[in-house]
Amino acid sequence: MTNLNAVDPAAVAQDAHLESADVVIGKSTIIFRRFLRNKTAVAGLAIFLVLTLFSFIGGFFTPWDKETIDPFNIGMPPSAEHFLGTSQAGIDLYAMTVEGTRISILIGLVVGLVSVLIAAVYGCTMAYFGGNVDKVMLFVLEALIMMPALLVVAVATSGGGAGLKRDLPSWLLLIIVLLVFSWMGTARLIRSMSMSLMQRDFVKAAQYMGVPPRRIVWRHLVPNIGSLLILDITRGVTAAILAEVAFSFIGIGIKVPDVSLGVLIGGATSQVQTFPWMFWVPLTVMFLLTGSLAMMNDGLRDAFDPSSSSTGEARQAKIRKTRAEKKTA
Amino acid sequence: MSSETTTGATGPARPEVERLHVAGLHAPADAVLSVRDLNVRFNSENGVVHAVRGVDLDLMPGKTLGIVGESGSGKSVTSLAIMGLLPSTAEVSGSVRLKGRELLGLSDKAMCEYRGNELAMVFQDPLSSLTPVFTVGTQIIEALTIHHPAMSRKAKEARAVELLAMVGIPSPKDRLRAFPHEFSGGMRQRVMIAIAIANNPRVLIADEPTTALDVTIQAQVLEVLHTAQEETGAAVVMITHDLGVVAGMADDIMVMYAGKPVETGAVDDIYYDPRMPYTMGLLGAVPRVDVAEKSSLVPIEGMPPNLLNTPTGCSFAPRCPLASDACLDGEPALASVDGQGLHSAACIKSDALGGDVDVHDVFAAPPVPVSRFDAVPRAERTTVLQLKDVKKHFPLTRGALIKRRIGTVKAVDGVSFDIREGECFSIVGESGSGKTTTLLEIMEFHQDQDGEVVIGGLSNKQAADAKTKARMRRELQMVFQDPTGALDPRFTVYEVLAEPLQNAGMDRAAIRKRIMELMKLVGLQPDHVNRFPNQFSGGQRQRIGIARALAVNPKLVVLDEPVSALDVSVQAGVINLLDHLRAELGLSYLLVAHDLSVVRHISNRVAVMYLGKIVEIGEVDRVFDNPRHPYTRALLSAIPVPDPRLERTRERIILQGDLPSPLQAPKGCNFATRCPVFAALPPAKQEKCLSLEPPLESVRPSAAAQALQNAPVHPYDQRFACFFPDGALDEDMLVVHEPAENHAP
Repeated sequence: MTNLNAVDPAAVAQDAHLESADVVIGKSTIIFRRFLRNKTAVAGLAIFLVLTLFSFIGGFFTPWDKETIDPFNIGMPPSAEHFLGTSQAGIDLYAMTVEGTRISILIGLVVGLVSVLIAAVYGCTMAYFGGNVDKVMLFVLEALIMMPALLVVAVATSGGGAGLKRDLPSWLLLIIVLLVFSWMGTARLIRSMSMSLMQRDFVKAAQYMGVPPRRIVWRHLVPNIGSLLILDITRGVTAAILAEVAFSFIGIGIKVPDVSLGVLIGGATSQVQTFPWMFWVPLTVMFLLTGSLAMMNDGLRDAFDPSSSSTGEARQAKIRKTRAEKKTA
Repeated sequence: MSSETTTGATGPARPEVERLHVAGLHAPADAVLSVRDLNVRFNSENGVVHAVRGVDLDLMPGKTLGIVGESGSGKSVTSLAIMGLLPSTAEVSGSVRLKGRELLGLSDKAMCEYRGNELAMVFQDPLSSLTPVFTVGTQIIEALTIHHPAMSRKAKEARAVELLAMVGIPSPKDRLRAFPHEFSGGMRQRVMIAIAIANNPRVLIADEPTTALDVTIQAQVLEVLHTAQEETGAAVVMITHDLGVVAGMADDIMVMYAGKPVETGAVDDIYYDPRMPYTMGLLGAVPRVDVAEKSSLVPIEGMPPNLLNTPTGCSFAPRCPLASDACLDGEPALASVDGQGLHSAACIKSDALGGDVDVHDVFAAPPVPVSRFDAVPRAERTTVLQLKDVKKHFPLTRGALIKRRIGTVKAVDGVSFDIREGECFSIVGESGSGKTTTLLEIMEFHQDQDGEVVIGGLSNKQAADAKTKARMRRELQMVFQDPTGALDPRFTVYEVLAEPLQNAGMDRAAIRKRIMELMKLVGLQPDHVNRFPNQFSGGQRQRIGIARALAVNPKLVVLDEPVSALDVSVQAGVINLLDHLRAELGLSYLLVAHDLSVVRHISNRVAVMYLGKIVEIGEVDRVFDNPRHPYTRALLSAIPVPDPRLERTRERIILQGDLPSPLQAPKGCNFATRCPVFAALPPAKQEKCLSLEPPLESVRPSAAAQALQNAPVHPYDQRFACFFPDGALDEDMLVVHEPAENHAP
């Protein structure tokens, strides 16, 4: 076997080629670079981080909190004492906004992450077992999709769930109800994606090598739907925040004394004329929150999509290059 | 952007480019398309890629220019630049003149005047180039409407029918209302050609028009392109990586490498008198279907250069066996070979090369490996795999709620063969003939299968428990067609190779050792094990796939189209590797391929399948040199050969139509619907073909040969299933191109 042990010159040439040129770029580097190239997405990420920071440390900048009533300033516009004014009851709007943002982000993140997790487990199980298991689980899923989520939320958070209401804070209750109704779409997507992955040659190769199915699912399927999961988390967070705002707006989500952006917006709708700041401030924060996530999502999709055309323009790069050359010269 | 301003901006003044540009102003007056100094740049993650670097070409009316090169050599980008179809992020400079009018720099809207009218294009993938929601008639009429708004509805419809008839679509009037999904791939490509020639284009660009098609269909489509060119008098640019395809069609050839033309000339000059080592390599890398002699293929080592940096020397020098220091000193310009003529090459050694230099000497092709089994007669070798009457039938049902069985698809219908140690057995046939299903049946290895599969003495009938299966998996491994899809993109090479070994229960140290051995065995650097598959080239990925299959030391390797996704030059390297491994490790192969040249090169025995049945089986040289079954004859005659003279005079059997749907399969001989012999038979004999199924019969030596041997001679290792193998062929299906016709002005 002497001649076979000799290293193939093709491979050597290839190696030299790979090593000399900066061809090998780590995948994470490429994803990160692509994300950074999308200026909108970077701005979105920045806004989101600032808002999160604000919701945690914003409370330290004001002596007021969401429960203390200031009897001397009732329904006052923004002033030095109350940065964003006060409500009709004399509660500092700034304090309430900080609290509301935190609750909204909390609900969004928890619901977004956990629902994707449930969806991944459920979807992969369906694809893995197939057959009758798949049929039954799919039926459950379809049934949940068809259930009127709005009514269930209304019942759970107001009339019917009296016992629950006593034991749990309203935001936790809302999280649970939102979770039950938010994972189905993703689960179906993951099911179909894993099913198509099962048809891929590398899965077949593993099967023909006699690798047990469980290991195929864990080692081949789950990592390959990873990028989809990340995208779905950001989308899920947006959806959960919007759902919370919507439910609270129509009065069936978060209940006072808990505050959320939805509660603030809902409470202020009738007073847009008289106390405009009560309406516009939480609305702006909500826009910033969901808008930043939407902006990020676009960039993430571009970054993860291998067929993305996010490589910049030839002309720009050339100009940059010549500029750099001029600088060095 | 006019050509003057851009040439100023091309940066460092390259004298030859300047010279060519000036020469371009004096392009032949009768050229329908002249391209001068075409440059295309793209941005990538690593910087600006200079994809096309100074292409010059002149296209005469009615002539065919073949552009040949590896993938990434800039062929397609050149054609897209001419059509103005490149994304706006690309930077295009130079000059493209259609009948004297400059096309570069025109707005997209202005280009629409030309596209589909005077410039037309046929794309590679016919499955995705037609809109599925419109009938083909609508799509042809759309092409007419855009450029002839004044044409009446009736006239357009008549023209559409005429076009469909011209590209050989039966009953064109009815098919006008058919949707693309009702057509097969070959038919759709015909429709694409019909759309392209709808407005009598002056230039027709065909970008790998037959790559996605079967050989028999490829022959049909090439024929249609030929007719289309004759009808319209258009100049054709044929882009391909297959030197065989252009040999019969092209008048001139341009070989591209690293974004630059490296050799141009008349087709005979290029094929018989190549003056650039790259062209010689490309020609030597193609296996020939018409040559029995066994010699190693010529692999062109290495990879095309990175076009991020401007090469300082000849761009081919790193891969060129003849490279010397002088080659690294400046990139050679395209210069005329003999001081006059049109044949020019970009090589400083072109004078020393020519038709009489053997490419095997230049490229140091490895010697033909000899297996230790080659000396042993076939009958004495042990059987590795045996199939006995294996069948796979799928029920065909209709109805949403209650499924009615309306028929059976006989994907595999009673296939039997055996493979001995150290042997390569191939199955060939069009897609849909049941080759891959046969493979899957073997890989499945299940007790409930119809028919018996015996792998290394283990039968699927006797024991199909997990233990036997695990033992079977160690005897039999598979290499997949698409090297990219067969490797998990998230696994390093180490993990890929470790998977079968872990599964076989080896410990870590042993796995490590074995992986290093495997990497060396398939000619990869052992220290590359920590890389991901996407950091390797296609050929190297296929080597990883082969290493994975060899990990558990199988006796039999199943190869499913192992090289069809690779470039010719890379393909040659992989075929040589497979040949080596077979000899060194005493492996047996079961190869499925549609490329008969590859099959002839690598196999010992071959089976031709048609609609789930083996129609001819036997020793590869016997079957290929003396094909008895009409289908084998048709398949062989459809393969283009990289030999222009032979290709021009060769008699071809062009099978009519596509593979019939299994539902319409006749009762008797499957092939009767398309058979050229059947079509010429008198009705009495036709009856026999239609009612009886021909059995597989051995080819017996003729009586004369028997008498000569003076003893009962063993029948040859060749069996076929046809009643009238010697019948005359139907004239309609025979096509011969007169040499004069092809060169008529």
